[in-house]
Amino acid sequence: MIRTPLSTTSVLDEACDAVSMTASPWAALMILTALPYRFLQAMFLDQLFEVGAEASHYGNLLGLTANITVVAILVALWGRAVYSRACRLAITRSETPGREALRVPLVALASYILTSSTAMLLGYVSLFTVIGFLAAIIFSGLAIGTMELNESVSLTAPFRLLFHYAKTMRILIALALVFFCAVFVALVNVAAAFQLGAWLASAIGGFDAPRWNVLFSPGNRRFLLMLFTGAIVLVEPFWVAAHVIYVRKAGAAENGDDLRAWFEELQRAS
Amino acid sequence: MSCTKMLCQECATQWDGIWHCAPCLGAKRGKKTRRAPVLSWLSVIIVSLACLYLGARVMVWTGAVIAGLF
Repeated sequence: MIRTPLSTTSVLDEACDAVSMTASPWAALMILTALPYRFLQAMFLDQLFEVGAEASHYGNLLGLTANITVVAILVALWGRAVYSRACRLAITRSETPGREALRVPLVALASYILTSSTAMLLGYVSLFTVIGFLAAIIFSGLAIGTMELNESVSLTAPFRLLFHYAKTMRILIALALVFFCAVFVALVNVAAAFQLGAWLASAIGGFDAPRWNVLFSPGNRRFLLMLFTGAIVLVEPFWVAAHVIYVRKAGAAENGDDLRAWFEELQRAS
Repeated sequence: MSCTKMLCQECATQWDGIWHCAPCLGAKRGKKTRRAPVLSWLSVIIVSLACLYLGARVMVWTGAVIAGLF
C-alpha cells in the first residue's frame, strides 16, 4: 500500500515498518550472510593498519584476504537479495512474508550481482574522491532497490533501470547522508552495549573484568573495527528497506498509484 | 495491476505479491516465457566476475596507497 507521496521522511518511515515486519527471520538471515563479509573487511583493514607504510611489500597477504572477501561478498549479496524481496512482499501484504522470500528470481539475482559488483569496483576506484564514493553507495542502494524489476538478463538493462530511478537524486543523497549519520548513532549504541555486557559480566565470579575493560576500550584498534562492523550490520536492513520502498514509491508516482491512494485516504477521512 | 483499472478486492487476485485483474492474470499466465539468450547470460556472468576480480585487486591497491600516506 502506497501511503504517502515520495519524500525522504515517508521513505524512512515506511522503511521502519518494513524492517519491523521482516526483522525475524529475514533481517536476521541478511545479517548472518553479511557477517563473514564484514568481518573479512575488518580483518583486511586490520592487516593494513598492521603493515602500515610497508603495505606494498605484503601484496600476497592482502591479496589473499581481498580474494576471500570477494567470495564472501557473493554470500552477502544473496542475503541482501532475499531481504529485499522479503521487504517488497511485506509492504505489499502488510504481513511478514513466508518462505516465498527465498525464491529470488535468478534473473534478478544475476542482474543484482552485476550492478553491485560494478558499484563495488567504482567505490574502490573512487575512494580517494569522497563524492565518487558517495555516488557508489547511492548506486549500490539503487541496485538493491531495482533488483526485482529486472525481468530479462542483459548487460545494459539493469543500468538503464538504475539511471531511470536516479532522477530524484535529492532524495537519494538525503538517504545516503541519513544512513551515514545512522552508522555513528549505531556505533555509540553498540559500544554502550559492549560496556554494559562487560559490566554485567564483571558480576560473575572468575570473569577477568579488568582485562576485558582494556580490550573494550577505544585504544584497541580491533575493538574499534568491530564496533564499525557491528554498526554497519545493524544499519544495513534499514538501508535496504529504504531503497526498496524508494523505488516502489518512485514507480507509483510515475503511474499515478500514489495519487489514487491519496485520494482514497481523503475520501475515507471525510 | 498492469491495466491500471480500479477493482474491488474480491475481483483482484494476488500473484507473487502483486494484485492482478482476471484478464491481466490470464495474459500473464498465457505469456510465453522468453528464454534469455545464452550469450546474455555468459556476458553478465563474465562481466560480474571481472568486476569482482578487479574489485579485489583495486581494494588491495587503494589500501596500500592509503596506508603508504600515513
